[in-house]
Amino acid sequence: MSATTAGAARRPRWSHLLGQNAGLALAAGLLALSIVVYCTIYYLAQRRFPGGFELTTTLNNTMPLVLAGVAQSIVVLTRGIDLSVGGVIDLTNGLAAISLGDSAAGMLAGSLLVLAVGALCGLLNGVLIAYGRLQPIIVTLATLSIYQGIAIRVLPEPGGEVPAAYTAVLANTRGPVSLVYLLLIVAFWACFRRTALGVGLYAVGNDASAAQANGVAVRRTQIAAYVLSGVFAATAGLFMAATSTAGDATTGNGYTLRSIVAVVLGGVNLFGGRGSPVGAVFGALVSAMIVNILFFSQIDPLYQSFFEGLFLVIAVLLTGGISRFMRRGA
Amino acid sequence: MAHSRGVTALVSRDQRRILFAVAAAILLFVIGGLVRPGFASLNSIGAILSIACFVGLVAAGQTFVILIGGVDLSVPWTLNGAAILMMSSAASSNARLPWALLLTLGVGALVGLCNGVGIAVFGVPAVVMTLAMNGVLEGLTLGLSGGLTCPSCAAYAPPLLQAAARGTLLGIPAILFLWLAVIVVASFVLSWTGFGRSAYAIGNNARASFLAGVNVTRTTVILYVLSGLFASLAGIMLLGFGSQASLGLGDPYLFQSIAAVVIGGVYIAGGRGHYVGAVAGAITLVTLVSVLMALNMPEYGRSITYGVIILALLLLYGREADES
Repeated sequence: MSATTAGAARRPRWSHLLGQNAGLALAAGLLALSIVVYCTIYYLAQRRFPGGFELTTTLNNTMPLVLAGVAQSIVVLTRGIDLSVGGVIDLTNGLAAISLGDSAAGMLAGSLLVLAVGALCGLLNGVLIAYGRLQPIIVTLATLSIYQGIAIRVLPEPGGEVPAAYTAVLANTRGPVSLVYLLLIVAFWACFRRTALGVGLYAVGNDASAAQANGVAVRRTQIAAYVLSGVFAATAGLFMAATSTAGDATTGNGYTLRSIVAVVLGGVNLFGGRGSPVGAVFGALVSAMIVNILFFSQIDPLYQSFFEGLFLVIAVLLTGGISRFMRRGA
Repeated sequence: MAHSRGVTALVSRDQRRILFAVAAAILLFVIGGLVRPGFASLNSIGAILSIACFVGLVAAGQTFVILIGGVDLSVPWTLNGAAILMMSSAASSNARLPWALLLTLGVGALVGLCNGVGIAVFGVPAVVMTLAMNGVLEGLTLGLSGGLTCPSCAAYAPPLLQAAARGTLLGIPAILFLWLAVIVVASFVLSWTGFGRSAYAIGNNARASFLAGVNVTRTTVILYVLSGLFASLAGIMLLGFGSQASLGLGDPYLFQSIAAVVIGGVYIAGGRGHYVGAVAGAITLVTLVSVLMALNMPEYGRSITYGVIILALLLLYGREADES
């Protein structure tokens, strides 16, 4: 290495990028690894490689978790946490099942209504946290209970109806249409993180008072993060309704903790300021692959969460070690 | 730690939070007595306190780990696993009770030990470590008991344990004496021992306490062990209360224990608060649910009101200092 200006060895651009996105790179690596393991085990069990059908089903079933992970990661970036993600999914999923009309305009209006409700839920969280000066964990714990209650009021029993055309658009079973949605999420984030608001999210997560001193509107940024989280959680509710072609006001409950797992596997730092929702997308896909791997390894489904938990710790220990090494070595 | 601010403040900000939580609990009993005569009778109060005891026991462990800025998300399946282990190992017999008790509490402590070592020694974030531990325990409990279909899973809690959890002593539910003992010991440890002071110190600033000679690793591990112990103790008592364990028994206790701790004025980022507050928080939460049930409110209404009242209580006294 040759010393450049001012005697400081300048890091090559790729190395700098890798250091900045260590979490993201590791999450991508984790996903690649889990796909390889999955394909191997699938081949050993079925004597052929998984094809388009497996890809489509896995993606369709994982889309709600992907979106819940994105929702969670946006508030985690600001050093917050959103335990109400599951409640918002419950509510929006139930609402979707009763509000989607049969016509194209009806479906569009219904979807917009659902997204607006999600935004409203996020707004309430954000305002309480930013202006109420309350801890995110406890605010969203309380609103989780509120949203779950409203969800049960909206749809007391599983049911409702989702038009077939709606399912064909969001969760088409004929081809991996969900890949388009994944790309849309990545494109959205690539644009959003370059906006003032996107930069503000990272600034607030790294050091709120320094961000404040540098002219970032901390409270507005926090509120925006929770609103965005609510909208993504509502999208998860829509996708869930499309996949199951009906609504259930309780299926979202498990998504609070699962979204945190997706965020952690996606290399997003739980203490804010580091990581990316794209990582959470990878994280959600990794957890879906783990379920697939366990299924094809003929492991008793009762032990499923045992292996998921074990894998979570190992993944965090490994990626923590590697990213420390990368930051030091690069 | 508690220190009064100025001559005018008779009680510190932290003590005020505890007093608010106690006042909220008393107010709820009064409201309950107004809407449903007999709600505030001694029998009814005893019954409500017994239910609050289970939340309170879990909240003891949760208080300890939240004091150092951690959290224990492995509570649900530590509790559930303990109840099932207790039930199947005691096999309905009083004679096997002591050994089953030792075994179950031992496993609870072991779970806490794993959490503590993962967090303090290997540096895994508390949220991740305990969330993963919850999954591990869920899988182990379901797998080893065959989804609660194992032959020994048909057993009942030993009669002695049922008597301890449901019986009365001197006209007071026996289980409340256990809770009182836990309150006394936990308060003593937190307020008057070096160990308690180390816990507060770590919660305020882990690095500074390390430099000041506090054994951060050991204290952290012990606190998580205590949390595992209390969660399994709650599981054992719940088994005695219901005489049989079920799957999903521990699920409500995660969020309830955290809510009780926070309503009780314990600062979620660590370093401030007291178990006495969490006790008041647990009583407040359980009384609130009882009042809503006494009002014949449907499930969705209870869920919404529960959330709204928690928020209202927090806005009343749980706000942080204004920094801007």
